[in-house]
Amino acid sequence: MTVLESSKIVKRFTEGRQTVEVLRGVSLSVARGEIVSLEGPSGSGKTTFLSILGCILTPSEGDLVVDGTPVDAARPGSLPSIRRRSIGFVFQQFNLFPALSALENVEYALNVKGLKGPAAHKEAERVLDAVGLADRMRFLPRDLSGGQKQRVAIARALAGAPPVLLADEPTANLDSSAGAQILDLFRTLAKRENSALVIVTHDPKVRSVADRVATIRDGLLAA
Amino acid sequence: MVSLARRNLLHDKLRFAITVTGVSFAVTLVFVQVGLFLGLLDNASVTIDHIGADLWVTSRNTPNVDFSHTFPETLVQRVRSVPGVARADNLIVWFMQIALPNGAQEGIVTYALEDFRAWGIPWDVKEGNLDDLKRGDFLFLDGSAEQRFGAFKVGEYREVLERRLKIIGRSEKALSFTTTPMAFIDYRRAQELSRESLQGRTTYVLVKLARGADAARIAAAKAEIARRLPHNDVYTRAEWASKTRSYWVSSTGIGMNMYLTVFLGILVGTVVVAQTLYTSTMEHIKEFGTVKAIGGSNADIYRILAEQAVIAAVAGFVVGAAMAAATSPLMERIHLKLIVPPPLAGAVFLGTLVLCLAASMVSFRKVASIDPALVFRG
Repeated sequence: MTVLESSKIVKRFTEGRQTVEVLRGVSLSVARGEIVSLEGPSGSGKTTFLSILGCILTPSEGDLVVDGTPVDAARPGSLPSIRRRSIGFVFQQFNLFPALSALENVEYALNVKGLKGPAAHKEAERVLDAVGLADRMRFLPRDLSGGQKQRVAIARALAGAPPVLLADEPTANLDSSAGAQILDLFRTLAKRENSALVIVTHDPKVRSVADRVATIRDGLLAA
Repeated sequence: MVSLARRNLLHDKLRFAITVTGVSFAVTLVFVQVGLFLGLLDNASVTIDHIGADLWVTSRNTPNVDFSHTFPETLVQRVRSVPGVARADNLIVWFMQIALPNGAQEGIVTYALEDFRAWGIPWDVKEGNLDDLKRGDFLFLDGSAEQRFGAFKVGEYREVLERRLKIIGRSEKALSFTTTPMAFIDYRRAQELSRESLQGRTTYVLVKLARGADAARIAAAKAEIARRLPHNDVYTRAEWASKTRSYWVSSTGIGMNMYLTVFLGILVGTVVVAQTLYTSTMEHIKEFGTVKAIGGSNADIYRILAEQAVIAAVAGFVVGAAMAAATSPLMERIHLKLIVPPPLAGAVFLGTLVLCLAASMVSFRKVASIDPALVFRG
């Protein structure tokens, strides 16, 4: 079942008098439980495409449907609710809140998504346990290793069981061993939660966990 | 629910301390400045508030109780003949020179009556018998005089207008707006001391109406006295107290000074809060981007900033109020009153909240416009 469907996505950025077309008609469909590795050289537009799939940026042209909801580029105010409901992010820099413990980082994301109180607390504990951090829940990010931080980030993305998971270079700041563990964990959990997972990466190891590889070059999706 | 606002604010303890210090500085400044001002205003009308007169007859256009002018003392008879008047007496309020033991000359404001007890002044007698005042060259001196004149004891002598008067009593809490010490002497003695100005003359007529006089009767008596004394002014106690206080507020720079200091306190507090919250926001800008990326709306962002502003306001108010309270005993030592009525405390608290929330808007404008895509930048 397709949960993420983009069709002929075009994205232009204007700086001063110059307009740059970063994406030139990218179409991609991802089904629930499917893992897609999105690759391409630097500047090819893959992070821009990920931002559009994640309803952070709106396309200049083209259509996007997330979990059955068409994204209306003319109404950017509707994007936060789609992100809350349907998308979990994992970032290259982890982007954890330094003042919050691992548990609170996950719980806060759930609060933003509308889940509050004991239910949020319980769900945060569940996903942290799932990523193998049951004994590190009270630790602040500064007291965690890079791999552990990324596990917290994965737990935060998984919290609330969103149908779409988007990851931007999740192994870029990890050593190869930690990166491999993270990828295995990510694959296992995405499959278990039946979530679509799109990973933007330069890391060839991602291919080993992906069901499919999509490559962007010069703003176009190569076959 | 996890409070990112609170945790972020407390995570950087030094910045939080600076923020709270800024707010508490402003709160303390406002409390002390306004409290002292109210204390001074209270002093300005303290004798009017304590003297049990329903009406005050003054010379025409007397600006306040301290700056009195004379008129014939016989006018009191006309007042006594007004229906509804239970008692009317002359009161002299007059500045006089007092010679101190070290030879210095200072000023005192003297209140002179024939019967102090009848009018309830002075109201806090620590030593001496007021009835003895008319028995000789005696005076009561208020304890606050020690601040200006040095220590004194009952039984000592002081020269007032070059006449030796014996201090036979001590009062407390009789303060004037100008901090000029207050003395109490017999009415006739005051006229003898300053014959040229006061012989056969008074500065006020105090009027007490028959028991149970309501507002309508007071107004009627006032109108009748004004009709019979066309060259004088007549005020109710509240009017006269208000006129006296208003004089110091509007006719001198002290009111403007108070407003200016309060304004500067508020300005400094607001700038400190706005600046520290803004700096904090800029340092956490990527976190706000993350909040947006995971689905947070601008309302969520403002809630974070508003919560931080409220925490800073409440903590700053508590510390500021405590600091102001701590200064109160110090002020009392130098006979200055710090008056902070509950409505003032409430207004300062609300003002602190509003200003901190307004200061947080500076940050909000920045955060509301951030691009959540910045979370993808390294």
